[in-house]
Amino acid sequence: MGATVMIVDDAIFMRSILRGIMKDKGFTVVAEAGSGIEAMKNLRTHNPDIIILDIILPDANGLDLLESILKARPQVKVVVCSSLVQEQIVKKAMDYGAKGFIQKPFTPEKVIEVLQGLEA
Amino acid sequence: MDMSQYRDLFVSESRGHLSAFNELIVQLEENVSDRAAVDEIFRHAHSLKGMAATMQFEAITALAHRMEDLLSRVRNDEFAFSADMADLLLEGGDLLSGMVSIIETGEGQQPDASDLIERLTTFTPGSTGSKNRPAPPVADANRVEIATDTPHRNHQFRQSDSFKSVRVKTEILDRLVNITGELITTRHRLSDQARRHTGAALDEPLHQLSALLRELRDEVFQARMLPFAFAAERFPRLVRDLARKQGKEVALQIEGKEIELDRGILEEITEPLVHILRNAVDHGMESPADRVAMGKSHGGTIAITVVRDKDHVDITVSDDGRGIDPVRIAAKAIEKGIIAPEQARRLSPQAALMLVCAPGFSTAAEVSDVSGRGVGMDAVKTAAHALGGTLVIESEIGRGSRFILRLPITVSIIHALLVECGTLTVAFPVNAVARTIELKRADILEDNGRKVFALDGRHVPIKSLNRLLGQKISPGLGPIVPAVVTETGGSAVGMVTDRLLGQQEIFVKPLGIPLGRLKGLTGGAITGDGRIVFVVDASALA
Repeated sequence: MGATVMIVDDAIFMRSILRGIMKDKGFTVVAEAGSGIEAMKNLRTHNPDIIILDIILPDANGLDLLESILKARPQVKVVVCSSLVQEQIVKKAMDYGAKGFIQKPFTPEKVIEVLQGLEA
Repeated sequence: MDMSQYRDLFVSESRGHLSAFNELIVQLEENVSDRAAVDEIFRHAHSLKGMAATMQFEAITALAHRMEDLLSRVRNDEFAFSADMADLLLEGGDLLSGMVSIIETGEGQQPDASDLIERLTTFTPGSTGSKNRPAPPVADANRVEIATDTPHRNHQFRQSDSFKSVRVKTEILDRLVNITGELITTRHRLSDQARRHTGAALDEPLHQLSALLRELRDEVFQARMLPFAFAAERFPRLVRDLARKQGKEVALQIEGKEIELDRGILEEITEPLVHILRNAVDHGMESPADRVAMGKSHGGTIAITVVRDKDHVDITVSDDGRGIDPVRIAAKAIEKGIIAPEQARRLSPQAALMLVCAPGFSTAAEVSDVSGRGVGMDAVKTAAHALGGTLVIESEIGRGSRFILRLPITVSIIHALLVECGTLTVAFPVNAVARTIELKRADILEDNGRKVFALDGRHVPIKSLNRLLGQKISPGLGPIVPAVVTETGGSAVGMVTDRLLGQQEIFVKPLGIPLGRLKGLTGGAITGDGRIVFVVDASALA
């Protein structure tokens, strides 16, 4: 079985598309979350290898959430997914310990490329 | 990757973002210092942009992007939120909704948004770049003051929607009700046959079948329930826009948003409520100057209160406006030939108010562009009755009015009282029946040329159901005649009929054309023995 993934995005639409992209590409989506609270809960119960994290969520600042996630599970690989292209946010996310960045709108190839880059 | 499979999801989720966006902007206008609301509005615009970009819907992406930009300047304290900005953002929200609808139907071309995009881009507070906008009312200054202490806002935490719940198309829910209804009808037929042919042998399994069907019915109905908030989400915006257009100041309060109703009922009642709200702003509310002159507060209040009472909900729309004068209503009804002058003299103030619901009371020529687009109070009352509900109007001159809609919580499967009337079997929804009574000849009196009987110390008029439904009057009635007493809008009527058959649960289906056009009939059903019964709207008949 390939790497396990949790998708954190408040849009069901975005989660469905990401799930569709990863299907048959060797990744197993084990959990989804629409909010920061859910993300933390699912992190504990599902313990995924990879998290795709949207930076704007209804109940949390994505960067704070990133910090909490890595504090709870330092080995999890977090990929930040956002259409905010402000460089400082991307840089901050990397400083906090994110392993990759996917800019919205994305192509399926780009998503897979970033995810496969993590495994190498 | 085939993106078209995600289109439905895009449409439904975009709608969610847009309606929350609208609601929050109106909310923010009332409390401009609410930072959390600004963040949330920004997030909705942002999410919509991201989704549209992923689907490669360029027109939506571009417009949402500009709106997001403007909002981020509010977030960065570059601009203060203002009524002009609200106008612009709401206009954008409307245009986006239209664009989403075009995506949904796949018909038509996306409208040109370049003018709006230009105005969003060049927006500076004060000089709006938008044309013909009325200056914000003076009272805006007051609003800001009130807003300095932040009241707690209802943060809507989303329930976990990942795996525990699924989205179901509404047609499937409608079909489930239909099948459940047919099952209940079939069960009645089965019991009927069993009684005739097999004696008591099937009693036990039939009993169990009944219990299971009741459970199934309850679950199916539960799945169809939606909170009132679903219908109400666009009301604040509606009231805000109408009031602003007319230079009035109106606050809308909604209580009981969480009360649940069947989605079919909610759908049917939304337009009538919009009409009542339009009337309240348009005709009920005075201008701020008039209000102050009368010793009232500057701004008026419209309140929608939803209260559940057993298997009913009462939706009350009340305002603190000028009220409705029954004398003037009666005079107008006489002028329009709806009632005769001598009838008017006999009317109670309550009955006179109900004349606003008479067909022909308001004509298209006199309704202004905001009030009554195609529907009058006549249509409101008809909609309430078609759902098995009632409408009551109360008013006090100078103090305001109340419109009370009493509605069943669920549709389709109702308890009904079956009566025989000539060759027809007719069903009265049990909630429309005040009581049944057996009248002796001697009980029937004359009052002003009308036949009446005494009930709890008042005279109740008697009508013949057979005559109302065009049936023959049965000759040689016995010494006792059965009657169904119905009560709507404070007046009772006794409907004399041939025979009372008893109560039964029936599955009501709408009547097609031409039967659906008959006055007083709201639907049809099939009983256990295969008879067709008509469901009557007693108040429309009387």
